[in-house]
Amino acid sequence: MTHLLNIENLHLEFDTYDGLVKVLAGVDLSMRRGDVLGLVGETGCGKSMTALSVPRLIPMPPGRITAGRVQFNGEDILNKSESDMEAFRARHLGMIFQDPVTNLNPLFTIREQLVDAVLYQRAQGKKVPGRWRGFAPSARQLRKDAHERAVELMRLTGIPDGDRRIYDYPHQFSGGMRQRVLIAMALAGDPDLLIADEPTTALDVTIQAQILRLIRSLVSQLGLTVLLITHNLGVVARSCERVAVMYAGRVIEEAPVRELFRNPKHPYTRGLIAAVPQKEVTRGGLEGIPGMIPNLIDPPGGCRFHPRCQHTMAVCRQTVPTPVPVGEQHTTACYLYEAEG
Amino acid sequence: MSALLEVANLKKYFPVRGGLLNRRLADFRAVDDVSFALQHGKTLGLVGESGSGKTTIGKCILRLLEPTAGSIRYAGADITHLKARDLRRLRSDIQMIYQAPAASLNGRMTVGQIIGEPLWIHESLKGNAARDRVLELMHVVGLKEEHYYRYPHEFSGGQQQRIGIARALAVQPRLLVLDEPTSALDVSVQAQILNLLQDLQDRFDLTYLFISHDLGVVRYMCDEVALLYLGKIVEVAATDVIFEQPKHPYTQALISAIPEPDPDMQREEIILTGDLTLATGGGCPFAPRCHAQKLEQCETLPPPLLTIEPRHAVACHLHVDG
Repeated sequence: MTHLLNIENLHLEFDTYDGLVKVLAGVDLSMRRGDVLGLVGETGCGKSMTALSVPRLIPMPPGRITAGRVQFNGEDILNKSESDMEAFRARHLGMIFQDPVTNLNPLFTIREQLVDAVLYQRAQGKKVPGRWRGFAPSARQLRKDAHERAVELMRLTGIPDGDRRIYDYPHQFSGGMRQRVLIAMALAGDPDLLIADEPTTALDVTIQAQILRLIRSLVSQLGLTVLLITHNLGVVARSCERVAVMYAGRVIEEAPVRELFRNPKHPYTRGLIAAVPQKEVTRGGLEGIPGMIPNLIDPPGGCRFHPRCQHTMAVCRQTVPTPVPVGEQHTTACYLYEAEG
Repeated sequence: MSALLEVANLKKYFPVRGGLLNRRLADFRAVDDVSFALQHGKTLGLVGESGSGKTTIGKCILRLLEPTAGSIRYAGADITHLKARDLRRLRSDIQMIYQAPAASLNGRMTVGQIIGEPLWIHESLKGNAARDRVLELMHVVGLKEEHYYRYPHEFSGGQQQRIGIARALAVQPRLLVLDEPTSALDVSVQAQILNLLQDLQDRFDLTYLFISHDLGVVRYMCDEVALLYLGKIVEVAATDVIFEQPKHPYTQALISAIPEPDPDMQREEIILTGDLTLATGGGCPFAPRCHAQKLEQCETLPPPLLTIEPRHAVACHLHVDG
């Protein structure tokens, strides 16, 4: 079975004044076409860094990939040249971010920004040098087509009055609508993979519900593959099919969404689920996870969760646990389940 | 039993200026005729989306903003027009905890100075006496002694919030206004802070006004909940009533939008259209987004907040008869 995306044993480090920060320490993650995978974890666990390593948007230096592979459609991405990478991003990837305000240029109308995105995608692989593209004989027609495509994208992402509102500036849109514009932009090149990095974190709950519904409907309409990064377990439960839980630079548990919530195995996953105030929890009944996220300059040896874990054994301090199967398509990296696997 | 805090017909309008000579063109009604009462030792949740006026209400109670109209009574006394000297005394009774822990702590002061400052201002406490109190407070909120000489940037978000809580507790307040105290924190840390707040409430007999947009957190923390929409209360009731039998269409939609970490949960999902926009007509502010059956008066008449059952009030034309 071939995977659309395959990340193997990825190690990423950052040079800082305080020392070498080991951000990712052996991330394994794979996605098939049509998957909707949620990548969950708390601040600093490396979920965004894992996602950014696919379009290779991590600044290097100070970043450095010291080991591992990232394959897309069987192609190795890490060895591509920067110009190949540009074409690759345009053809295969779409990305949306947390903050819809800073990702739109306030000086240009939505039309200019969306049409630009469409033209850029379409120009990939053609011989015309970028700066002359606008003067080619067919430029007028290209722009007209791109404009139509932009309006269509706005309709697809549920922006009412797209043909009129396309002439508006970003500040004339609300937060939810701006996020839709960004989704439209990400879809401009019919991407194979949509990476959504905390797409609803800055939005109100009612708007969040709208955006999640939009993403779900795009998945069923266009057959998108989505990598959804979030810290919110509720968002995952609502919109993903599979979940990977990250802690301090490693994937510690992976399972189909129902299985993960019904039958969480890793102590960290259990703690995370227990920390969400749910319906049945009464006063005083909420459990946090004691301690805090480890310092990644000098991370704890062995399992990085062991200083906060209630079930720590001698082996946890010494060696890194490898993922073992604990159910159907359910794996976890924890020595508590070694015997079962 | 009389309420510790009573807010009656509170209004806060901000002027919208522009045109020639920067004239006052219109008013932005951030808080528009809000009334509620908070009993001693209880927690009232103020819930709403961004722009609903929840923080403005909190700031008006502390008199960090001057209310445009209405009255605020604290422990039986009217505090709406207190003068500076009395205001200082009031502020040792009412304290606030802010959303962004990093921004609400002075980066150039050590933890000891931050927590000690209110002791000096309100009680003229200095030297070893102050130091002992600060260390005791740090212990209460779960900070260690060696943190005394550190600076805020050396702490994680959760610990910064603990510093903010210790600073608020320093003057032995009776009422705390908690403005989104955990929305900047990760869930595992959020759980720690929420539990700390509950412990402190029991231990020091505190009353909380809990401002939040997260209904899950509100359900866990509050005895009573008031829902705000565009500066007006649309529904107020005991927490279990709000979550079991929500009456206002907005409340129903908000509850259905809580992302519960339970993929098996069967429920009707109400997804509101549009976003928080000012209604132009004189009708119900929620009418443009409402998914419920529309009546004629929805577009023309603002619905009053009516008590439909004891301790349950709704502002909706569909529930006029109870």
